[in-house]
Amino acid sequence: MSTKRTWVRTGLATMAAATLLLVSACNSGSSSSTGTDDEATTASGGGAGGVDIYVVGGKSDDPFWSRVKRGAEDAAKVAESTGGSVTWLGPQNYDNLGPDAAKLIDTAVSNGADVVVGPDWVPEAEDAAFKRVVDKGIPLFIYNSGGLEAADSVGALNYIGSDDHEAGVAGGEYLGEQGVQHVLCVNTLPGAANSEARCAGLAEGVEGSGGEAEQLPMPSSSFGNPTAVSQGIKAALLKDDTVDAVVTIGTGDADAAASAIEQAELGDRVSLGTFDLDETQLSRIKDGTQLFAIDQQPYMQGYLAVSMANSYVLYGIELPQRPLLTGPAIIDGSNVESAIAGAEAGVR
Amino acid sequence: MAPVHTSTAPASDGATVPSESRGAALGNLVRRPETGALIGTLSVFVFFAIFGGSQFLSAGGTASWLNVAAELGIIAIPVGLLMISGELDLSVGSVLASSSMTLAIVSGHWGAPVGLGILLALGLGLLTGFLNGLLVTRTGVPSFVVTLATNFGLAGLTLGLSRVITGTTSVAIDPGSPAKELFGTLLANKFEVAIFWWIGVVLVVGWMLHASRYGNWILAVGGDTVSARATGIPVPKVKIALFMGSALGAALVGVIQTLLYNSAQVANGQAFVFNSIIAVVIGGVLLTGGYGSVVGVVLGTLTFAIVQQGIYYTGWNSDWASLILGILLLAAVLMNNTFRKMALSYAPKRKA
Amino acid sequence: MSEPLLKLTDVSKSYGATAVLHDISLEVRPGEVLCLLGDNGAGKSTLIKVLSGFHEPTSGTFEVDGKPATFKSPRDAGEHGIACVHQFGGTFPLMSIGRSFFVGAEPTKGWGPLRRFDRKFAGEVAVREIRALGITRVTDGDRLVGGLSGGERQALAIGRAVYFGANVLILDEPTAALGVKEAAHVLRIIMQARQKGIAVILVTHNVTHAMAVGDHFAVLIRGTLAADFRKGERTREEITDLMAGGEAMAELEAEIEAYQREHAGQVPDPAELEQLADHQKPTA
Repeated sequence: MSTKRTWVRTGLATMAAATLLLVSACNSGSSSSTGTDDEATTASGGGAGGVDIYVVGGKSDDPFWSRVKRGAEDAAKVAESTGGSVTWLGPQNYDNLGPDAAKLIDTAVSNGADVVVGPDWVPEAEDAAFKRVVDKGIPLFIYNSGGLEAADSVGALNYIGSDDHEAGVAGGEYLGEQGVQHVLCVNTLPGAANSEARCAGLAEGVEGSGGEAEQLPMPSSSFGNPTAVSQGIKAALLKDDTVDAVVTIGTGDADAAASAIEQAELGDRVSLGTFDLDETQLSRIKDGTQLFAIDQQPYMQGYLAVSMANSYVLYGIELPQRPLLTGPAIIDGSNVESAIAGAEAGVR
Repeated sequence: MAPVHTSTAPASDGATVPSESRGAALGNLVRRPETGALIGTLSVFVFFAIFGGSQFLSAGGTASWLNVAAELGIIAIPVGLLMISGELDLSVGSVLASSSMTLAIVSGHWGAPVGLGILLALGLGLLTGFLNGLLVTRTGVPSFVVTLATNFGLAGLTLGLSRVITGTTSVAIDPGSPAKELFGTLLANKFEVAIFWWIGVVLVVGWMLHASRYGNWILAVGGDTVSARATGIPVPKVKIALFMGSALGAALVGVIQTLLYNSAQVANGQAFVFNSIIAVVIGGVLLTGGYGSVVGVVLGTLTFAIVQQGIYYTGWNSDWASLILGILLLAAVLMNNTFRKMALSYAPKRKA
Repeated sequence: MSEPLLKLTDVSKSYGATAVLHDISLEVRPGEVLCLLGDNGAGKSTLIKVLSGFHEPTSGTFEVDGKPATFKSPRDAGEHGIACVHQFGGTFPLMSIGRSFFVGAEPTKGWGPLRRFDRKFAGEVAVREIRALGITRVTDGDRLVGGLSGGERQALAIGRAVYFGANVLILDEPTAALGVKEAAHVLRIIMQARQKGIAVILVTHNVTHAMAVGDHFAVLIRGTLAADFRKGERTREEITDLMAGGEAMAELEAEIEAYQREHAGQVPDPAELEQLADHQKPTA
């Protein structure tokens, strides 16, 4: 909002305390400097002191979401400097993800959100809740999952994030350039839309250069047990000696896959790649025991989504890029050093 | 030294018990409740040896299921002991994760000596087990509920502290010698050193359960707690010690995995909660307590690991692995019940 | 008459505000069978739990062999020679006979860390002791207890208590779950124990069983010792009446007769009868 209107409103506030609730608007900083303490509290307590941004996100115990949250927190500093706030809403677990996320979206609305940011993990369950947000006239941004298609169907302003299919394609094309012919896509979450899209995109990318990719699904009894995942991958590598690359859908699995390749003594034949990134991947890429990682740069998803939400509500800023992609970025031996610096800061 | 005359005359054990002939050996085997577990292990091994081909039988293939069995076994054996005493431990998943993160944070993030990190990780496990045991014996709340609560509570604590301390949920560690060699190395580049830890646990616990007097206490506590108390067995102490044992096993696997994969993840370990119970139950331990053997648990663990890993050698879609595990669990329990009934209904033919 | 092995003076037990036992005074002598009789809820099981160290009495004193004693745990009671056998023998169905026999007092061989349970010895002793009680069908100490009959399990439990030097043996409803023949066998075992000079406290509902072996009878009604008499001092009918709360019933009958006299032979209707019955309840 314009500076002029702010000043007008602040002036009114100092003249007539009775109209304070109506006029306590944009800048709690100036409001508190001119009004009494009580008035200032009313201003920010009423949620009108800045933009109250509600971000629905993942469980913060997976490494990926902790980076998204970090980005959101960093962007929150800007929102907070103009009297706004950022509230992170995450589910307790992923057992009932769709309905849980829908509830969190409704929670954001009922808590008086000025703008909502959320991932469209399970469209069937969440889209109705997203539409309720839009129907109330609250600006909505979709990020991380769903893509532009989901954003348009629920009436969101934009989509911020990467596209799992696109990321897979990028990884597949990169592998094709390296001359890889037969890729194993290790899926520790068989049936989940994003892991399936990653493997499918990977296959598409590899097929572009004449190679092929197949999926290795892991049962739930191996989940969170790197030894079971590792031994499963090793078995698949021993069983089929045409496999020349293994790609995992997450970083924990990549550690298990690295051990599997080592145990099968196939380091010369089999290259390793993974979706997502952490310090261990970076050090392996640096050592040369891992070829690459496909980074969707989660920090930027949180950071950009919150920044755009804040600047749209405050100043009406919209970007021409739709969707606003934060990835994929391929990290390999050529750019690993700068990525390591980012990881040390807890950002990459 | 002066020669000492030792009379090695056979002990004249004026046996009032007529010893049974060797011909009854097979009959005795049939009456042992572990026989079901043995049949299970042999069947799945033969099954995957046929369908898994030569790679399954190779050293690499053997390592596949042996490594998985070793880590699971280190947890399943003390969990089995606890189940024999009539209690469950559902907190092993979070104990594993917390021990793993403790080690990685202390020795990886803060750079303290690895030995200290390992001691703290194992100590945290023991403390959790102690609290589980204390809560169960003091409050009388079923261990199912107490340890379920611990599992959630500890998971939250691990996650919260990890994020506060390191800002992330996966922490890398460079263990170095000799911790790496002791806990997290691969022998012949295939076999985890955890296999020897498992063998150690089997020998120690096997001795304790089957040879020492404490084993009798554990069986008695699980069989009939009131009578066990009446004979003077310190029931709460036995249970607390067993809870500490299962938590120690889980913490040890946390240490092993952290040093093996050079990293710790907050979300690791939860699969062990049910996998350990499955292995123990396949091994013939009575879910309600009072009966079980270390041999049975070892066989149950092997069966579980062979099925879980064997499927990858068949070339079949591993989507079906969980289905096979489910069927196997049910079949094993039904078979164990049959053999247990045979053991119980047995009575000598002759009437005096 | 010999000196009492175990003497209770004014023993009371209450759980919070609820009093369960009031001023029980009893003497248990060697070579005697004391039958503890009473209806459900009369306080028999509480008394046994106090005697065997599961619960401490709220007030009152114990004397063992003339010396004052307190039992803080079952182990304490055991050290004073008091052993308790439960209805189902208190044994462990999935343990071997030898292991079950020695639970809590396992024989070991070897030294230091290699000290181990002496399975062979345990099995032999268990079988010998059980056979000594007339159970000849048991020959192998490695068999599971679950394969034994109810009477055989009682024999195992009694043999165990005797072997570990119990001189006061508390048997809680040992014949309740048994058939006629098995029950007779258990009663014979009780007589054998009695002959060895052991004091037996037999808790039972069955007057016939009590009359067959009892030397001394104590009847509990609502936590108080309603009667304490020796063999031959009361008839079977009197004992049955006592166990069924008979005295109270007799008084109720007298009340009804009085009512009929007052109301010209009219029988009181059920509601009034209930009021009469309430009126008859002893004030606790």
